[in-house]
Amino acid sequence: MGTDGRLRQLNLETMKTWARINSPWVLHFNSGSCNGCDIEILATLTPRYDLERFGVKLQGSPRHADILLATGAVSRQARDRLLRIYEQMHTPKFVVAIGACALTGGVFQGCYNVLGGIDKLLPVDAFIPGCPPRPEAIIDGVVKLLTNIQAPKSEQAHSKTSAHGALYDE
Amino acid sequence: MEKQTTTHSFIVPIGPQHPALKEPSHFRIAVDGEIVTGASVRLGYAHRGIEKATESRTWIQNLYLLERICGICSHIHGMAYCLAVERLAQVDVPARAQAIRVLFAELERIHSHLLWLGVAAHEAGFDTLFMYSWRDRETVMDILEQLSGNRVNYSANVLGGVKFDVDQLCIESILTGIDFLEERTQYYLKVVSTDALFLQRTRGIGTMSRRQAEVLGTVGPTARASGVDRDIRIEAPYAAYNQFPIQLTLDDKGDLEARVLVRLRELFESYRVIRQILSDLPPGDLTVRMPRRIQQGETVLRVEAPRGELFYFVRSNGSDMPERIKVRTPTICNLLSVVKLAVGHQLADVPMILVGIDPCFSCNDRTVIVDRANETSRQWSWKELRQYGSTYYQQRAT
Amino acid sequence: MNDTEKTLKTASQLLEQWLWKTEVERPEPNRLDVRLKTIDDLIPIVAGLRVLRLGYLTAITGLDPGLENPDLEVLYHFCVGEAVITLRLNIPRVNGCLPSLCEIIPSAEVFERELQEMFGIRIDGLRNPSRLYLPDDWPEDVFPLRKDHDPDKLKSYLTLREL
Repeated sequence: MGTDGRLRQLNLETMKTWARINSPWVLHFNSGSCNGCDIEILATLTPRYDLERFGVKLQGSPRHADILLATGAVSRQARDRLLRIYEQMHTPKFVVAIGACALTGGVFQGCYNVLGGIDKLLPVDAFIPGCPPRPEAIIDGVVKLLTNIQAPKSEQAHSKTSAHGALYDE
Repeated sequence: MEKQTTTHSFIVPIGPQHPALKEPSHFRIAVDGEIVTGASVRLGYAHRGIEKATESRTWIQNLYLLERICGICSHIHGMAYCLAVERLAQVDVPARAQAIRVLFAELERIHSHLLWLGVAAHEAGFDTLFMYSWRDRETVMDILEQLSGNRVNYSANVLGGVKFDVDQLCIESILTGIDFLEERTQYYLKVVSTDALFLQRTRGIGTMSRRQAEVLGTVGPTARASGVDRDIRIEAPYAAYNQFPIQLTLDDKGDLEARVLVRLRELFESYRVIRQILSDLPPGDLTVRMPRRIQQGETVLRVEAPRGELFYFVRSNGSDMPERIKVRTPTICNLLSVVKLAVGHQLADVPMILVGIDPCFSCNDRTVIVDRANETSRQWSWKELRQYGSTYYQQRAT
Repeated sequence: MNDTEKTLKTASQLLEQWLWKTEVERPEPNRLDVRLKTIDDLIPIVAGLRVLRLGYLTAITGLDPGLENPDLEVLYHFCVGEAVITLRLNIPRVNGCLPSLCEIIPSAEVFERELQEMFGIRIDGLRNPSRLYLPDDWPEDVFPLRKDHDPDKLKSYLTLREL
């Protein structure tokens, strides 16, 4: 491949990354939480925190989303839908686990019907602890993720993991 | 009415909701053209097995578990649990602690009703009201944060009392915040009673008579909007509600508009009681010593959560872990009313009827349309169903 | 005599007619516990409470008093004002069966569905007997709120399978 071709490819990659960082579309999914984390996520859209000024848009469809914001300790009923949503997202895709329940199951560890953490099911790119995390913490976590996406090298690494959709055994 | 030729059967999954163990997973709605002909409910989406978990945790650990049944009314769950256990242990909690518990409970009610107002507005397609009410709700979130250190899950209750005291600085900022919110609530009352589009979605929709409300077993503001005088704070006062009584807020029209008005009017009672508590806060301790093992016995405790009557049954076998804790949350009582009320209404009214019982908020779900005539199925999202409702009413207006 | 006392006294008097089959207790000042000796009494007593407007059905609690007891217990709570009237029934652990209250009290449906799936007590006459909280593919013979529930039975159920 000539220098021209490589330059073109690099520009395309940079543009795509720039678009992804500057206007990531997020999908929110509750896998069985108490809604504390969900209302703090919703609060980030309201005037005081206003996530939309960062270009972050809350989407309804997995096919349009770059980032999955997942809350909840993953109940049995939610598990299959969570997997399906993840499959439907186009690569590269990123998963953010929000709240103590999404990290480890929180206070619901060991309950029947609860798997205990998003990372038991999906590869998670960012963990935001808290019960629930403040809107500032959520924004901080999302921004940290976006900063990490910036370097194309790390982006490729993510694509690898995401494309296989690694599963974990119990 | 013209009979439609095709029959669609909607399975409307509704996403995140509270309360305990229960999360309406989906409603199955049968539609004949535009009119709903039948509905049934299936839950389980966020069933976490909390009641079973309480049996293998100590009394103190359970407080932190039960507070997380719901993020929106976490304080009232903690308070109900503490009141029940204190009753079993036959322990007298200091008056100051009970008053502070009521203070937090009313602040929680304010935050919950404002949250609901925003969600109801959002479901009606009235996003401006959603943004405004959630912005104003930040005032009460700030107050709660100043009092407890957290915006959600304040964890103010301990077995035997409360953790946080209210000092002069807090009192001043609470009073300022309440003054602001009272003014804003007046404004919202005006908006919901005069905005033509909002009224179109609420006036005369989902009407439930007093008799129906009683028979269907509804509780909370949903019942009070139909003239049923059920409010646990008044009929069975607990904590400090004897010293700081609440006046009943009733409406007799029983439609969605009445449900909005009842919740907004209740806010004025909450503002009044908070001011009263802050001016007459009893002096004294914040906690009393509680035994580690709770003596054998059973008790029933009912409190008024923002959504209605919350029921706790606690049984102890004398050890340091409970034998059985049963939590019956208000939304489960009101769900049947949605199922019955939806029948005969337009499909476009379904989102508003559901939100009228205050089931928290719904986001990110699917509606599956099964076309019996062609044996095909399509998928909609809840957003599309909401959009369908908005468009339907906009077209009707033109 | 305040309202609560009046209510509980009326309820007591009502139940005196069945007293040869029921035991009445006052465990707390605002509570009346009625122990039914036979399941056949349930519907008539509930109908009586409804006719006299002695409370609305607030909740149905299932209880497993411990493995040393041969029976499970079911509690029906009726509340009016501060008063709580609880009807208590013993149900055998195996093949336990109860009549549904749905004909008299439609709102009982959700409580009965929960009781059925959590304790394995069959409720006859439920219009919609499907599961309420537990997933559709939950194992048939696993009743989580019983004391003899074995968490190991759920291990394979919860294990992830390959996509």
